[in-house]
Amino acid sequence: MTTTRSLTPYLFLVPAVLLIGVFVLYPIVSVVYYSFTDYDISTPPVWVGLENYQQLLGDDTFWLALSHSIVYLLVTPILIVLSIGLAIIVNRRLRGIHVFRALYYIPAVSGSIAIGISWRWLFDTNGLINSFLISLGILDQPIQWLSEPAAVLPIAMLLTIWAGVGYYSVIFLAGLQNISEDLYDAARIDGCSDVQKHRHVSVPGLRPQIVFVAVISSLAALKVFDEIYVLTNKTGGILDSGTTIVFYLWEQAFRLTHAGYASAIAIVLLAITLVFSVVNIRLLDRRAEAD
Amino acid sequence: MVARPAELAVQAAARSRPARPKRRILETAAWYAILLWIGAVTVLPFAWMLLTSLKGPEDPIFSVPPQFLPAHPTLDNYARVLDTLPVLSFFRNSIIVSVAVTVLSVLVTSLAAYPLAKMRFRGRDLIFYLLLGTLIVPVQLTYIPSFVLAVNVFHYDDTLFALIFPNLASAFNIFLLRQAFKAVPNDLIEAARIDGAREIRIWWSVLLPIVRPSLAAVAIFTFVTSWNDFLWPSLMLNTREGMTLPVGLAALQGLFSSDFRSIAAGVTMTIVPILIFFVAFQRQFVRGLAGAVKG
Repeated sequence: MTTTRSLTPYLFLVPAVLLIGVFVLYPIVSVVYYSFTDYDISTPPVWVGLENYQQLLGDDTFWLALSHSIVYLLVTPILIVLSIGLAIIVNRRLRGIHVFRALYYIPAVSGSIAIGISWRWLFDTNGLINSFLISLGILDQPIQWLSEPAAVLPIAMLLTIWAGVGYYSVIFLAGLQNISEDLYDAARIDGCSDVQKHRHVSVPGLRPQIVFVAVISSLAALKVFDEIYVLTNKTGGILDSGTTIVFYLWEQAFRLTHAGYASAIAIVLLAITLVFSVVNIRLLDRRAEAD
Repeated sequence: MVARPAELAVQAAARSRPARPKRRILETAAWYAILLWIGAVTVLPFAWMLLTSLKGPEDPIFSVPPQFLPAHPTLDNYARVLDTLPVLSFFRNSIIVSVAVTVLSVLVTSLAAYPLAKMRFRGRDLIFYLLLGTLIVPVQLTYIPSFVLAVNVFHYDDTLFALIFPNLASAFNIFLLRQAFKAVPNDLIEAARIDGAREIRIWWSVLLPIVRPSLAAVAIFTFVTSWNDFLWPSLMLNTREGMTLPVGLAALQGLFSSDFRSIAAGVTMTIVPILIFFVAFQRQFVRGLAGAVKG
């Protein structure tokens, strides 16, 4: 490969760079600008300096939304553990195992709105969850689960976990199948039990996949919106019990047309995401050193 | 006590022969029980939707213990949804958007991936890291300016174009295809160059055919992501006839607020086509996901 002076490489890149410029880079710059303005989208923005950020500091709903998004990150370790477990379960030669693997993947392709609606009805007063719990004698009366402030966020997180396990386990399954059989044989000869075998061979062998899933699922958790939108019927839940940072951003920008204020929220979201990415890159680096 | 080898072998056989198959059958049965149980947890919400959508007015939604099977199965709920909402338009719109995004995105990103993988030129690393950096940016961050652009500059709000153009240049796809192109031997490209092929020709007839599995994986993921996209389409689409399936489904939930039978029919109608798509392309899904981490 020699460095070309021709225009050819640039011509190949023109469409992509143009599109990313217009739909990603330009918006990032403008959102920074909007965050210093009072802006309602229909009239031109008015410069207000740091006013939006000062307002954020004293906005209880914002802090609540932020704390909900941080709590939501708990889905990441749970997803990793369950997905590795599922990958280990389906990583064996059994008749029809492919059917099961495909079955577990279904929630990942079905669409968050369709899934969210079915979960909303599962947890409705007239829902299946109440039917089950009353039949089992755990409840006396049906509960309107999604009107319980303490239940909204956990239900949304449960939904994210339920929908994600099959998806992430495919990644871990591919990782498991790359681990040499010899390592397991060696572990068995060393007297490892089945559980120890996975602890000492599978988990270290899956490190790249664990880092990848940690990155992807935590970024997804920080961005959660659709589930909250459907489960709380666009309200964010009673007392904002389900409001996450992206939901609050959407509410401020597109329901209340406080686009300037919402842009400040967007900048906070970007900052958190950057911190997360730096942490993740550190983790990746440490792995590279270990290799 | 020293036993002769043959004796040992006989003893061992006597010990293990009746025991092993029995244990193995039990073990297999236990694994199937676990697999079926996880399968039930996965499928339950879908099955409940499907069965509820077939329930007539006399079949209770809520009962103790739960009643799954409709005693008076009917398709009336589907008819009611189809009468009230232009579900077929939703389908058509979703197909137009997802096919357009998939085809154009594969073209745009594979074009960009070629020089990034196989050419050396000024600014290459800068462009690559700039693209990589956009992976970190949450897409919701761009929605306010993109909304302003759509309404004030491009005037394509409430059209399907608004769903297509912003989604074409996925940095993730560029990254994956660059990995795939890197694995293609340079000799092949050099040989084509010596034969006098132009770069665009090399891209089209040498590189793309070789990385077909990666293209398929990228295409399928792009299609499903586009098909299920909700937040941005919901900001852009107002006219009912112009909605995609997820946006229409959210509208249906508002419209039939407490008519769970009809909502269940709507949900079932939107899930079935993507499930058929998934079953058809199942292998590519798995291969694509598995390949994503190797890089």
